[in-house]
Amino acid sequence: MTHPRLARCGLLLLVAPWTGCIASNVVAAGDRLVTTPLEQLHFEVAPALALQGLYESVEIRGDAALSLRKVYYLFDARGTYTAAALTETDGVLGFQTLNGTWQSTVAGLALDGRPPVLLEQAPQHLRITAESGVLVLRAASLK
Amino acid sequence: MATKLLQWLGALFVVLLVAAALFGFMVLKDRVRVVVQSDAPATGSDPTALLRDDVQVLAGRVAELQAALSQNFERLQAAIEERAAARHADVMALRREVGATKQLLDHLTQDVVAMREQVRGLPAQAAAPQPSAPTPGPQRVEVAPEVVVPAEVKPSPPAPAEPAPAVPQAKPAPGFLSFSLPTVQFRCDELQDYTLLPGLCRVGFDAKSTLHDFTGVTERVTGRFTADFDDPQGAWSGEVAVEAGSLVTGVEGRDTDMWEHLAAKEHPQIRFTIERFKPAPGGIDVAKQTARGEIEGKMTIRGQTHALTMPVRLEVDAQKRVVVTGQTPLKISDYGVPVPSQLGIINMQDEVVVWIALRARMQLKGHK
Repeated sequence: MTHPRLARCGLLLLVAPWTGCIASNVVAAGDRLVTTPLEQLHFEVAPALALQGLYESVEIRGDAALSLRKVYYLFDARGTYTAAALTETDGVLGFQTLNGTWQSTVAGLALDGRPPVLLEQAPQHLRITAESGVLVLRAASLK
Repeated sequence: MATKLLQWLGALFVVLLVAAALFGFMVLKDRVRVVVQSDAPATGSDPTALLRDDVQVLAGRVAELQAALSQNFERLQAAIEERAAARHADVMALRREVGATKQLLDHLTQDVVAMREQVRGLPAQAAAPQPSAPTPGPQRVEVAPEVVVPAEVKPSPPAPAEPAPAVPQAKPAPGFLSFSLPTVQFRCDELQDYTLLPGLCRVGFDAKSTLHDFTGVTERVTGRFTADFDDPQGAWSGEVAVEAGSLVTGVEGRDTDMWEHLAAKEHPQIRFTIERFKPAPGGIDVAKQTARGEIEGKMTIRGQTHALTMPVRLEVDAQKRVVVTGQTPLKISDYGVPVPSQLGIINMQDEVVVWIALRARMQLKGHK
């Protein structure tokens, strides 16, 4: 065995014990997609919830997601709300604003006296399931 | 005697006086005008007082008119409010109807898609008498006339049976939670423009080395593409760009070496240009909005460009985003990237697996 080969073997023997210290960090094929922490949230039906404060959307599902980009709700304990939605129409983004009333009952969340929709709650989060989509809101603070 | 003379003189004086009076009357009767005045001539006809009186009369009338107008205005306002309430109720009813119609339309669309699939299967069954083998192209042409499908759906009585339970749910107003949204449906079987979503895309490579395997990954991915899942010709186009200097492997020193090998300063971007999509046999499912096949294009690393084919899978997630995943092996030496080696004993393999995990949003255009 030539000297260079002996040297390589020696180095390999020296390095071999350290290989266990460097763990493989290969990302599994199933974990390649960017995930959101929302998947770990456990939502429960929230009857007669006392809504108050600012909420911002963190996820929009369903057909509404095609044109709805962001939603903000500011709920007042007196039963009124104001909201803004960033929508996209024909490639143009624009805000829509709303003012109305809300009521949370056993049947769900009724906005502006309309039929109630399913309202669920998780820590710091709300999930509203309406006819054309699902809106997940996260509590935010006014700064 | 003197007394009688005085009497005659007196009588004569009286006669003369009467005659003078008569003469004077005759002379002045046409020149003198007798006017009878009231007992309070001092006040006279004061124009200011008359004007004041007129103004007072007018003020009274204006007050009466104002009272009458205010009553009329109140009645008018009440009538307007009543009408507005009625209009609002009508609008709400119309909104509900539109919502119900939209839902019915959604169900019909689903039926159409299902029927399309059934129609799609027909050529395969009818292929026996026809010598030509069925290909995706003709199938698409046969399905194309969409007008036929509603004509089939419309007269069929069972069709309303399916959306029937949805009628009570049609009460909510159109749009979403009181917001007015355009009625858009995701159509992957039409040519659409898609934009990659920053922060929701990952591109990486899996490499093997003497010590251990590792992954280099980045989320600094941009790009867009145009695609029609159901296009048998696969005339797709677009480009995905990655910031070479943002790739990380989890080991700082290795990252620095990697950026040097990739010449990230001179060639800051790794690009993949999409030229064509070759669908896998049976890989297109319009109903499920999925596609499997190979994307053909050109990969540019370190300024060197070579053709590259990557098997991919496309699907639509709950947020109505297109999710593109795929991977393919690639030799880094083909692109002039030196294969890393430490002291000749810790070597990285030349071949790495390049993978993508992208999310893209359909660009809304021309939808009302």
